[in-house]
Amino acid sequence: MSANIDHLKEEHHQPSGLMRWITTTNHKDIGSLYLWFSLLMFFVGGLMALIIRAELFQPGLQFVVPGFFNQMTTMHALIMIFGAVMPAFVGLANWQLPMMIGAPDMALPRLNNWSFWILPFAFTMLLSTLFFESGGPAAGWTLYPPLSLQGGNSMPFVIFSLHLLGASSILGAINVIATILNMRAPGMTLMKMPIFVWTWLITAFLLIASMPVLAGAITMLLTDRFYGTSFFTAAGGGDPVLFQHIFWFFGHPEVYILILPAFGIVSTIIPAFSRKKLFGYDSMVYATASIALLSFIVWAHHMFTVGMPLAGEIFFMFTTMLIAVPTGVKVFNWVATMWKGSMTFETPMLFALAFIILFTIGGFSGLMLAITPADFQYHDTYFVVAHFHYVLVPGAVFAIIAAVYYWLPKWTGKMYNETLGKVHFWMTTIFVNITFFPMHFVGLAGMPRRIPDYAVQFTDFNMIASVGAFGFGLSQLLFVYILFLTLKQPVTAEDKSWEGAEGLEWTLPSPAPYHSFDTPPKVE
Amino acid sequence: MTGTKGTIVKLSLVVVAMYGFSYALVPIYDKFCEITGLNGKTNEVAYIGNDIQKDNRFVTIKFISNVANSAPLDFEPSVTEMTVQVGKAYNTHYVMKNNSSKQLHTTASPSVTPGKHAEYFKKVECFCFEQQTINAGEVKDLGIQFIIDNDLPHASGDIILSYTMFDITDSVKETNRL
Repeated sequence: MSANIDHLKEEHHQPSGLMRWITTTNHKDIGSLYLWFSLLMFFVGGLMALIIRAELFQPGLQFVVPGFFNQMTTMHALIMIFGAVMPAFVGLANWQLPMMIGAPDMALPRLNNWSFWILPFAFTMLLSTLFFESGGPAAGWTLYPPLSLQGGNSMPFVIFSLHLLGASSILGAINVIATILNMRAPGMTLMKMPIFVWTWLITAFLLIASMPVLAGAITMLLTDRFYGTSFFTAAGGGDPVLFQHIFWFFGHPEVYILILPAFGIVSTIIPAFSRKKLFGYDSMVYATASIALLSFIVWAHHMFTVGMPLAGEIFFMFTTMLIAVPTGVKVFNWVATMWKGSMTFETPMLFALAFIILFTIGGFSGLMLAITPADFQYHDTYFVVAHFHYVLVPGAVFAIIAAVYYWLPKWTGKMYNETLGKVHFWMTTIFVNITFFPMHFVGLAGMPRRIPDYAVQFTDFNMIASVGAFGFGLSQLLFVYILFLTLKQPVTAEDKSWEGAEGLEWTLPSPAPYHSFDTPPKVE
Repeated sequence: MTGTKGTIVKLSLVVVAMYGFSYALVPIYDKFCEITGLNGKTNEVAYIGNDIQKDNRFVTIKFISNVANSAPLDFEPSVTEMTVQVGKAYNTHYVMKNNSSKQLHTTASPSVTPGKHAEYFKKVECFCFEQQTINAGEVKDLGIQFIIDNDLPHASGDIILSYTMFDITDSVKETNRL
């Protein structure tokens, strides 16, 4: 350990300007890079969502051709998942994990630098396909063959960029696990770790187990297209349905990768503003672990309509419903934490509360989709779009925003403007519901997803959703403005910025020093 | 830092193992389909046994065809329906015409519906066991000889045999060039 600290001290003679950021091995610098990059990608992906919503404002083709529309739905998903939500969580992990477990830095600082700097190259490659003559990928983010095998020249670029993103995630996950398992302060046993650390530890294991499977699946696509293999081409005896199985074996753990760290954030913020300890810490840990384990045996609920034996459909239906049990444990624990607490409603708390309510709505529509016979009607409709946007936007994205507001004074030593924060919260929450709630209705009425044009009876709800989407997009500009105002202030924040906040990070000065804990703190 | 090193080594092994697992899913899936009869995959090599007994049951076999990716081919069954005695060998054929002005290489991929009956549909001879070469404008008869296994459960309805014909000229040429 001491060798590591000496190594870090030498780095006070660091280059300045751009080279500081390119060569940095500091967990806080890299955390900031991840978070800024994620914000940028959030706006790039958001712009694509607005193109989709503008086109869907009314039936008929207004702004874009169908081919480009399909590229927008595909790219929007890839960018939001791999560019916005995942890097934001890795950024939060970089900033918070060493401070929360009493370590000086991450266990593998150089690897950390590398896992970040892969991302800009991967996304440059991915986005460059939009300027190809044959356009970007248009087969949906799930890249199902045979359609994805018939696409234009973008296909190998998309696959290589996904390989890079997967490599970046795997390296990041190895770093997180190595840090948590080896660098905790003396006295911090596993069951004394902050809950955010626990959720990230489990997420990192999910990443390590599922990302290589995605790499395998897309490598098979690549060899099918260019090297004459027939994993998925029926002409050579392959089976396109096989791809769906392999893809969703990765894909379902992936959706928990996108939400478990959010559970950790909410489980940190709710006790702080209820001024009570988290209710049922042990059950929270076990619930998170059970969700992670169950995520590996439910994948085929994404493909109920593909043709499966009855026994298979029933198995995947019941295992999927089983996930509602540990998730329910979490929701009830959050509610019990607030029970009889002396609650206050600062911006991070507001986002965390909205998370609980709106994520639960998304969870319930997920339960509806898990019912196999009902899924035959819902499959590939806007009901599915409504479901996963409810768990990802007011789920994952709200948790990320809540975390930024909660830890911003610790990171910068500067407090954001509370009034503007609340305005941002209310605008975001209202518009998110205006955008996604009507999608439930058009979905149940039969509007398919991924179409640029639709039957006229869906017009009203689509108009409402489009208005909401533009409102949501504009509200996020306010978020950028709030960040800008905060960073311009002088340093005034207290070390412990929130009265009820618990954890080692609040024992450090604000802004947190460049190297978190030179001497490990003692944990009772 | 031996603890960290140990963690890295173990985790890297998991990564490699999971990558291998994605490829292992391919044979696992094939086996799974074979057991459950998923996809209606039929035997890919000729049936050469003589253990099938004649039976006094009759079933109706329907023949259908598809051409993949709008290839310049006509491909139709010569008869669309046959009532056959279980356990007795029958012959029929499909007719394929090349509408293009060049020689084409093709291959057909069979499928039986309902999938769980695929294992009772035994092919003694089938054009789907090999690739076809068809000259410009040529019309070809593609034969099949089949037996319905007398293990076929009682009270099974009609059986549908489908072939999808693929134009694989490009990949054949590429292989020859290599």
